[in-house]
Amino acid sequence: MDNQETIVKAPPRAEPAKTTLPQPGRPVPSRAYPGALIVVEGTDGSGKSTQLYLLKRWLEIGGYRLHFTEWNSSPLVKSATRRGKQKRLLTPTTFSLLHAADFADRCERQIMPLLQGDYLVLADRYIYTAFARDAARGCSHRWLRNLYRFAPVPDITFYFRAPLEVAVDRILSGRPKLKYYEAGMDLGLSYERPESFKLFQARILEEYDKMVDTDNFVVLDGTLPVNKLQKQMRDIVASKIDLKRFAPRAPEAE
Amino acid sequence: MPDQEKEKAPVAATAPVETPAKPAAESEASQTFFGEPLVGLNPSELNGSLIVIEGMDGSGRSTQIALLQEWLESEGFSVVTSGLRRSNLVGRDIDELLAKNAVTRLTLALMYATDFFDQLEHRIVPALRSGSIVLADRFIFTLIARGVVRGINRDYLTGLYAMALRPHLTFWLNVRPETAFAREFKKAQAISYWEAGRDMSLSHDLYWSFVRYQTMIKRELESMAKRNAFIELDGEASVSAVNKQLRQRIAEQLGIRLSKYTPSSALAHLWR
Repeated sequence: MDNQETIVKAPPRAEPAKTTLPQPGRPVPSRAYPGALIVVEGTDGSGKSTQLYLLKRWLEIGGYRLHFTEWNSSPLVKSATRRGKQKRLLTPTTFSLLHAADFADRCERQIMPLLQGDYLVLADRYIYTAFARDAARGCSHRWLRNLYRFAPVPDITFYFRAPLEVAVDRILSGRPKLKYYEAGMDLGLSYERPESFKLFQARILEEYDKMVDTDNFVVLDGTLPVNKLQKQMRDIVASKIDLKRFAPRAPEAE
Repeated sequence: MPDQEKEKAPVAATAPVETPAKPAAESEASQTFFGEPLVGLNPSELNGSLIVIEGMDGSGRSTQIALLQEWLESEGFSVVTSGLRRSNLVGRDIDELLAKNAVTRLTLALMYATDFFDQLEHRIVPALRSGSIVLADRFIFTLIARGVVRGINRDYLTGLYAMALRPHLTFWLNVRPETAFAREFKKAQAISYWEAGRDMSLSHDLYWSFVRYQTMIKRELESMAKRNAFIELDGEASVSAVNKQLRQRIAEQLGIRLSKYTPSSALAHLWR
């Protein structure tokens, strides 16, 4: 009953004009596609992945059309990244480029088509991860912003902010050994991995904080209890995104 | 809690930014780089020469580079070469992607950029630091042209290569696509998928696909020629004639006298 009513009220699906189709290297107009993009960002240990998982479960159980995507998940450049890390060949520039190539692949083959196909896309980390991490490594902001210009702008970007000590403790207690690049050892901040990791994470946190206003982050307190945070997150999603549009379609009445 | 943290952040964010020193540093950077400095590189450390040879497949690039390397070494210079897909980091990965044709144009462009910067940072810059001469078999110009003809925004690509070093000399071996086709076909009795730009669906006919694609690339290089001080050479002239012009300009650049050169027996077959 309720269902039928929503179908009557549902707005007609926006028909994207041909001219608004994304062009590589051109900024994607925010309303060039009918889908919606929700992103979570934050330092390691901020609790963002847990929260996105719970959001995903909530939407899945509700039967919404959605797709989940992760930063650094495409098999395309995996071997190169692994080789680069093992042999420590990566510089700030090539580290950044490899991840951009990886993201471009996912963007062109997965994220954009899904958005065009009217999906709700959930992304665990997005281009802001690259902006924060690569800028912390010394890449220029201007170059990074240009590099990722082809990426669609999210409808909501949740930024899970946890004080540095909390985030660092969460990671260090759960992991036996930090990896070289993960700890930012390539920056030569410290000979000790945990210490280097702390200094590197501090820089990343600084970069994230700079983007809160420029990139319309929705800041959430990563130290709150999991269920409280999830409640906030669901409320914001429901208020900012017309979820009905992604609800299961009832068979045509006729 | 989050508000408190937010207030604290700007204090920590005041990294040392030397505003007064910027203009001077920037002008120096623009002479060395196309747009902005490469992370962690001090341009004053570089004292070698970067010499680029551009031109389509079949324009005689690799022949000339082999001859130039021999000539320069006989003159007592240390020579390092670079080229597309030769990086340790992703050279082989690109080969694989091309073979499988399983990649979109933007991803491929970024993989080529990774390949370029890996060679720049691990091969070209160290060579220039040690005073060597780098002979680059193609450079960012070909990479930009390839992207542009595939519909990637030109500003995007120039921004991408903003930290590339400006070459001391850029030669452009210009040939007609028809000539290049004949040479390439003679060399391998085949034209590769990518060389003919077949991913662009320009023509089902191999010959026309090659000619159209290479003409588009050529037009892009033409548009870059003036701004980047290309030295255009007639690639249809004989190997020895082109080689002489190259050696003249390079000798001038290096401040040495132009001596006579005939290739050793190992390279004599190239001298036609």
